[in-house]
Amino acid sequence: MTEASEAESGAQKPLPLDGIRICDFSWIVAGPQATRIFADLGAEVIKVENESYLDSIRMARAPDGPPSFNASGFHNNFHRNKLGITANVHHPEGREAVERLIGISDIVVENFSAGAFARMGFPYERLREVKPDIIYLSLSGFGHVGRDASYVTWGPTAAGASGATAMSGMADDEPAGWGYSYLDHTAGFYGAIALLMALYHRDRTGEGQHIDMAQVETGMVLGGVPMLDYQVNGREYTRTGNHSRAPAIAPHAIYRCAADGDNDDRWIAIVAESEDQWRELCAGLGVPDLAADPRYLTNEGRVAEQEALDAAINSLTRGREAHELMYELQARGVPAGVCQTAEDRMEKDPQLAERSFYRTAHHGEMGTHRFEGLPMQFSRGRWRMDRGAPLIGEDTHRVLTELLGYSDEDAARLASEAAV
Amino acid sequence: MAGPLEGLRAIEIGDRGEVTGKLLADAGVELVRVEPPAGARSRHTGPFVADRRDVNASLHYAYLNTNKRGVTLDIEGDAGADLWRRLVTRVDIVIDSSGPGVLDELGLGYESFEDDQLVWCSITPFGLTGPRRDWVTTDLVSIALGGPPMSSGYDDHEVPPIRSDGEHSLAMGGEYAAIGALSAVLFRAASGHGQLVDVSIHECVAGTTEGAFPNWEYNQSLVQRQTARHATVAGSPPWQHMSTDGNYSMVHGGGVPRSQQIYERLLDWLDEHDAADDLRDPKYADVLYTDPRAAGEARVHIIDVVGRFMESKTADEIYRGGQAIHMPFAPVRRPEQNLNDPHWEDRDFWVEAEVPGHDQPVRYPRAGYRFTKSPVEFCRRAPLLGEHNTEVYGELGLDAAALTRLAQDGAI
Repeated sequence: MTEASEAESGAQKPLPLDGIRICDFSWIVAGPQATRIFADLGAEVIKVENESYLDSIRMARAPDGPPSFNASGFHNNFHRNKLGITANVHHPEGREAVERLIGISDIVVENFSAGAFARMGFPYERLREVKPDIIYLSLSGFGHVGRDASYVTWGPTAAGASGATAMSGMADDEPAGWGYSYLDHTAGFYGAIALLMALYHRDRTGEGQHIDMAQVETGMVLGGVPMLDYQVNGREYTRTGNHSRAPAIAPHAIYRCAADGDNDDRWIAIVAESEDQWRELCAGLGVPDLAADPRYLTNEGRVAEQEALDAAINSLTRGREAHELMYELQARGVPAGVCQTAEDRMEKDPQLAERSFYRTAHHGEMGTHRFEGLPMQFSRGRWRMDRGAPLIGEDTHRVLTELLGYSDEDAARLASEAAV
Repeated sequence: MAGPLEGLRAIEIGDRGEVTGKLLADAGVELVRVEPPAGARSRHTGPFVADRRDVNASLHYAYLNTNKRGVTLDIEGDAGADLWRRLVTRVDIVIDSSGPGVLDELGLGYESFEDDQLVWCSITPFGLTGPRRDWVTTDLVSIALGGPPMSSGYDDHEVPPIRSDGEHSLAMGGEYAAIGALSAVLFRAASGHGQLVDVSIHECVAGTTEGAFPNWEYNQSLVQRQTARHATVAGSPPWQHMSTDGNYSMVHGGGVPRSQQIYERLLDWLDEHDAADDLRDPKYADVLYTDPRAAGEARVHIIDVVGRFMESKTADEIYRGGQAIHMPFAPVRRPEQNLNDPHWEDRDFWVEAEVPGHDQPVRYPRAGYRFTKSPVEFCRRAPLLGEHNTEVYGELGLDAAALTRLAQDGAI
């Protein structure tokens, strides 16, 4: 469905989480990833910021871009569809406004270091006094309980501690890890899942709760299989590069393609899981006779000679344009995919285009931009892309007057007294 | 107590929905996994107990199928199709990763049920629509197309981009599918209607590449992969170093503290080991904490000093010492190196349970979240192949003689 027809036919469809409200103190990436999913699905997510201690993601902007805390594309992508207010919780009337918001919210989310939110005056017990069935998600590096609870993480260090970094890279080289904060996203996904579960539990029992998430644990959950292997077989984890482990399959790797203009960093992933795929791969690479090479007649042979096989395939892919080769191999039924860059995904991926994965919305300073969508479609509902991220304090007056019961005069006075 | 989702029922079919099924089953959903008589793909995926290639010895299967009951079913035969229909009528959620159109062609897909209450969560490589719907893929190919490898790998670009081990396309797809399914369950409670949720694994991966997206959308720049740190447009110094014990350790950002207060603590720590070099020269703190945008050279020098210090200690010394001054240092642990860290015991993170085919209980990670009122419990290990045929089909009213006939006909 194209974006236009989706807008025409889908705009009236309901949002699955319409009616849920989140008081969102989260920042950087992990917490905002969780609440972004809720906002896309229709929840009213109100991001609470402190003007004297802004979200550092607001600084993630182009080096030559405007010197504005509202000009971060990174921030825009993670806070679209949310409302934004400022509040000074150290000012009595600022605190009162925040507590009024908590009092009408289903969920409170924060991903500060453990203990920081309580020191700001919001331990779970206080949240529960304000809203007895509140669902409180705290998302810290090591959790709120345990001897190392005070330890701090960012995405990459959580990946290092959990095992996720070690599980990435060539066998004979140092760990390659993930080139971004993958565990911030994983923690965000798990945060969203946990909140949905807690909402179900609350609706069934009337009981809210504190969900104590540790980002490092989300990475450990992703490494459960090697943990079992160690305990059962005594085997320490070893890397295998891009090769498959068990069952061992060859070829199964990423190969270099021809330069694309002055970009000589083009690659394609190719796998042959069956003898048919192996023969078709050889034909697609223009060397049908290779399939009959006695060294490569069986998967066992190909695995045993994987280094030579990879070199042979690499010498053939090196002269091929990556996308052209992908289309040829897919037409032959061979699993093959270009290692796509953001440019490839956004400008040259007809699948993402056809399903309107990237959609546009307007941001108050940066104008109209594309956003990463939600990776699913609903037959009866929809997700939205209604607006870009809020400017600092963009919705403060509206939230105070329309949701929290302040008069225009009181809202203006709170602003002038730096309470909000 | 059986977790926050107690009372829900689900059925899982196909090989790409195991993560979703585990997330739901661990949280209390009563879930039946339907497998072909030869067993699910992951039963044939290693590692295996004692390296014994057996459908009941896969540790991969054992981990991803906890708390599920398992039945076998040949869905392509008439008898199997009838059982499938009867199983589906009992559940709230169907997790269907059998492939785009596969069940529809058999007349057993979502549309065939005309059940307005059903939440049917489809998980497919590219989604149920679109020109690449039927492309062939594996985890490696899905990850490549989605984008992580172009951000992950080594400073040396002669080395290929890297796909992380662990079938992360299925993790991301499975996590998002749980979000889609549970959103639909909540919506059903509010509206009275179920629906079809169409999750595209390609979109799940493509939407999980972080900085690559805004750099292209806002600056038309492509990020470049670097060893064990964020891909960037401009390049940055290393964060990861080998320690004296042969383990690696890392520090986020390379070791430049975020505040002057922590910078002073870092200097004290380095001084204890006579490793502060010239960092006490006020020119560093001045530029770092008054004019960060002009601090490029100072940052590079500090990162170099910290890096050399990291290479002079064990990974654990760096980890504990760095965290003591509230800096994000970490050991680069192999997954199993966390099994004996007492912090996770403090959090009751492990559940001790059986693995099929192994005589000692082992530690499983409990879950990626710690509920304080409705904890995730471990109620049963992964099923043996067809272990619950008698029990589950018995609940449909089939007696022993009927089950014997179905088994003889190859239906189960």
